[in-house]
Parts: sequence; C-alpha cells; structure tokens
Amino acid sequence: MSQQFVVAPLLVALVTAIATLLTRRFGRAQVTLSLLGSLGYLGAVALLVSKVDPLGASNVFSYQLSGWQAPFGITIVADSLSAFMLAFSAVIATAALVFSASYVDSFGQRVSYHPLFHFMMVGVTGSFLTGDIFNLFVWFEVMLMSSYVLVVFYSGPEHTQAALQYVVLNLVGSAVMLLAIGGLYSTTGTLNMADLARRVADPAAFGDFAIAPVLGLSALLFAVFALKAGLAPFQFWVPSAYRAAPAPVSAMLAGVVKKVGIYAIVRVYFTVFGAAAISELSLPGLSVPDDGSALLAFYGPVMFVMAAASIVVGGLGAVSRDDIDGLLAYSSIGQVGFIVLPLAIAATAPTEEIRVLGVAAALVYALNHGFAKGLLFLASGAVYDAVGTERFPDLGGLTESAPWLSAGFFVGALALIGIPPLSGFFGKMLVFDAAGSASAAGVAGSNAALGIALVGAILTIAYFSRAWNRGFWGEPPLLVRNADAKVSLVAVVVALALAIALLGVGFDVVMQAANAGAEAALDRQGYIDAVLGAAEGGSGGGHA
Amino acid sequence: MTQFVLAGVLGVLFALGTFLVLRRDIVRVVWGVTIISQSANVYLVTMGGLSGGVPILSHGGHGGGHAVSDPLVQALVLTAIVIGFGTTAFALVLTYRVYQEHGTIDLLELGEKA
Repeated sequence: MSQQFVVAPLLVALVTAIATLLTRRFGRAQVTLSLLGSLGYLGAVALLVSKVDPLGASNVFSYQLSGWQAPFGITIVADSLSAFMLAFSAVIATAALVFSASYVDSFGQRVSYHPLFHFMMVGVTGSFLTGDIFNLFVWFEVMLMSSYVLVVFYSGPEHTQAALQYVVLNLVGSAVMLLAIGGLYSTTGTLNMADLARRVADPAAFGDFAIAPVLGLSALLFAVFALKAGLAPFQFWVPSAYRAAPAPVSAMLAGVVKKVGIYAIVRVYFTVFGAAAISELSLPGLSVPDDGSALLAFYGPVMFVMAAASIVVGGLGAVSRDDIDGLLAYSSIGQVGFIVLPLAIAATAPTEEIRVLGVAAALVYALNHGFAKGLLFLASGAVYDAVGTERFPDLGGLTESAPWLSAGFFVGALALIGIPPLSGFFGKMLVFDAAGSASAAGVAGSNAALGIALVGAILTIAYFSRAWNRGFWGEPPLLVRNADAKVSLVAVVVALALAIALLGVGFDVVMQAANAGAEAALDRQGYIDAVLGAAEGGSGGGHA
Repeated sequence: MTQFVLAGVLGVLFALGTFLVLRRDIVRVVWGVTIISQSANVYLVTMGGLSGGVPILSHGGHGGGHAVSDPLVQALVLTAIVIGFGTTAFALVLTYRVYQEHGTIDLLELGEKA
C-alpha cells in the first residue's frame, strides 16, 4: 500500500530546512523558499489530515521505514491524535514564520534563522508521528538542538545565560530519557510503541516479565516529558528561555514545542501504558481499579499534583511580572497545568466516557493555548518592534497608537481567560465539564480539581487585566505615542485573532477532531493492529 | 561477575557526573553533563546483556549457534553518542560565549549579575 503521505510532512520540512541552508547567501530566495516550504508543509499536513480523518471516520496509517516490518523496523504512525497536533502546529508555525520574515533582522535571517526554524519543525513533526520510543528520543533531540540555538539567537548576556540553563537542564533530561528507554527495552524486550502496548497489557504471553520496573521506568520518562512541557516542578527554564528567544521563536516554543511534551504524555501513558496492570504492588493512596489500568491510575494523582502546582505557580508568577514576555511565560506554565488537569482526571476516570472527555478537553485546551499564546507572543514582539520596550512601567495607552495590535492582544487574552465565542471558552468549559462529570461519578479528588481550575481561572483574569490596564490603557508616554507598528507584523497578529474567533464559532469541527483524537489515543487495539498488522496484533505471538 | 563490576562502575560514573554538575564552574558543569550522558550510554550497552557472542561473527565462527548479544542496543548507543557529540560541542561553544559576554564562568557571579 502506498502510504507515503504519512511521511510527507516530515520530508517537506526536511527538504525546506536543507534548501534554506543551501541558499543562505541569497537573502530573498532563502526567505521565499522558506515561506513556500512552510506552505508546502501546511499542504502536506492537510493531505495527511484528509486521509486520517475523512468525514465521520478515523483511520490509522502506518509507514514502515525501509520496508522493515514492525516491531523490528522504525514505524511512522499517523492517527487522529497525531493529525490533530500536526494540524494546529502547522498553522501556528506558518504564522510565526511569516511574522519572523519581517521581524528578525536580515543578517540574522541570512545566518541561520530559517534552517533552524525548519529543523525544529522536522523534530516536532517526527515526535508527533513516530511509533518507536527510541525514535521519539531522536526527534526530541533534533527539535531541542535547533531550539537551543534559537534561544541563544541574539546571544547577548541575558540570552547566553538563559540558553545555558535551558541546555544543561535538557541535556540532563535527555540522559534520563535514555536511561528510561534502555530500562524499558531490557524489561519488555521491545522499543516499538504498539508492541510495547501489547506486551505490558499481557506480560504473561511475552516471557512473563515483571511489570513493577515498568512503573518506575515510566515515571522516569514522565519526568522528562514534564520537563519538555514545562510542568511544575520542572518549570525553571521556562521564563528565562522565553524571554531570551526572539518573539516568533517564543511563540513556537510555547505554542508548539511544549505541546510535544503533552502529546508524548498522552501517547505514551494513555495509548502505550494504559492497559498495564500492577496488581502485586500496593502504593499509598492507590486503589487498583477493576479494569486493570492500575499503572495509568498511578499517574492520576501525580498529574493532578503537578498540574495544580503549575496552575498556582504560573498564575502567581504572572501576576507579579513587570514585562509582557515574563507575564506570558509564567502564564504558559499555568496554562500547561490546565492542559494536564483534565488528563489527570482522565487517568483516574471510572468510565470510558469520562476518559475520552478528559483527553478531548486536554486536546482542545492545547489547541486553544497554542493559538492564543502564539498570538500573544507575536503581539508582544510587535510591541517591542514598535516601541522598543515591553516593560509595563514604560508602556501604556497602546490602544491609541496601535489599535489593531491592541485588539489582537485583547482577543488572545480573552481566549486564554475563556470568553465565548472564542475557542478558549470551550477549552475551559470542557475542563470544568470533565472535572464535574468525574465529581458526579464520585472520583476522589475531582472536587479539588474543580477548585484548582477555578483558582487558575481567577488568576488568569487577574494577570491579563493587569497587563491590559498597564500596557494598553491610560495616557501613552512619549515613546508609545511615537510608536509605529509595522503593518506586516500587525497583519499576522490580526489574522491569528480572526482564526481564534473562527475556531470558536465553528467549534463543532474542532470538537469532532478532538474527540476523534481522544478516541484514537485510547483505542489501543486499533493502534496495535495498524502498526503490527491485524492478524498478529490480537494474538500474542512471541518474538524474542 | 561482570554485571556487578559494571553496576559499580555505572554508580561511580553517575555520582561523579552529578558531583560535577553541581559545581560553580560552567566547564565542569558541561563535563558533568557529558559524563552523565556517557554513563547512560554504558548503561544502555549493559541492558542488552553481555554474555553472548559477537553478532554476525559468531554465526560464521566455530560452533555457530551460540547465543548472540543483542546488537540493537549497540546501534542505539551509536546514535546516542553522535547526538552527544553535537550537544557537547554546542555546550562548550555556549560556555565560551557566556565567558565573552559576562567575563566569568563562575555560576555564582553570573547569578549575582542577573
């Protein structure tokens, strides 16, 4: 079967990265190629989405690299979950790239900006599509390596210092990830995610390996994914890295790269480890549910505590910041908490219905945060470009000198606060809905989840009102009065604002896609069948 | 026996790496990270088992049909080593840039300036 379209986004991004690297002496041609490549990427993703999610159905496609059949070769898998993540990442990436073409100075663009940007997209795409856990590590490294250089792009004193923190933390994270992967391999005897899912679900059929080490190793892996997603207590690198990076790169880091961590959590813990049962182990505060998904149930409380801590730390941090970028960085720590909170509920959910609702809520919130935070970072970049500062004490009255830009920022802020009809309203509503349904079903701790979500929502309103009052209202100082926002930058911000409004108005489509994504994430057998072949997937044929 | 020796060596390597990461000097921090990622590689190799024969070679050699050590972990380690080279080089260049921008590679002094 010709399923090459599965690797199409990956190839387009890779070819674009190399082409922009080769044409770096020809400024115009490089920028044109880069933008064309980004459009091509959008097209490749659209093709993939149209194949995976044709109206009403959701398929899983796998592509065996070099024709090596899974589980021996590396498999690239596209299902509704990957398609959902890819689709919104592609749109945000295109917006960020168009923005950078007029934001980043021409010398910077010529030196390395475009190749790095596209290599980062290669890493992101690979992480979303891979079906092999070691391959996931490799794509993470591709993505991180480019993001290291993009964080230190301006290479001033504060940028080098921020990049140093970012690099050292992520290098330690990579080593820990290798340890976890090595341990999983030696315990279960496979690296293929579908094979892994099948083995942990039924260890007796595959050499009867001990399942307890899998719990410990998966916890190690969870720490790495939480580090990538910037969840508390691994959030230390976030504020300085986001402040140091150029605005469109911060938009990408917050909007897309963080979501790779979220995606990895959903894929690995819900699809792969979801069916693992640890009956011989009794942990404090953990009751083993009847359906045998005890390993997942262990992560419920873990995710809840981390999500709650992120919401509080991010919210309080954002309220006390003195510059737009710092506020947005802390805000994105809090918002990632909001994405993981419904996942925590889904992990402990007693019924399949609530589980799907929880994962879908997380996906919708991830999409909304990607668009809104991307827009806000781009708006902050446009403010910096026009005024020369983004510190609140030097700002004020931007609504008078840059009305369109302010309107864009306003829409982004409202989307994160959750005002209808913007997409953020539905994200928040689904989070509360998931917590409410779990509470009605009598899940322990779901009332606490409701309370934390409420605290987070109030903090979000507080810090965005503060940003709006100090930055956009009031008497403009001289610096702001003379500000001249670039039309090309403002156009991107306004376009993203329109996209957010459109996503809210046409939310039906988003909800269907998110539901399909959530069901794909939980449809373990469908995933296994698609990767390993239907004949073999169900029965437990034993490869050594 | 080999397992116990290797387990001990791995423990010492991780301890050394952690010790270096906690130093004030950035260059030592980079070395620490390098040692940690290299010990992760050694750990990966040991995860494949060490008791078997050489892959491919032991098939043709006398008394073929020996159990062969798992070659997959070695392929993984090769990948990880290459990635490690790239990141180490970048971290060292970054250290130099930090020195150029701040005039120091002492993390405490860096923290005081910020």
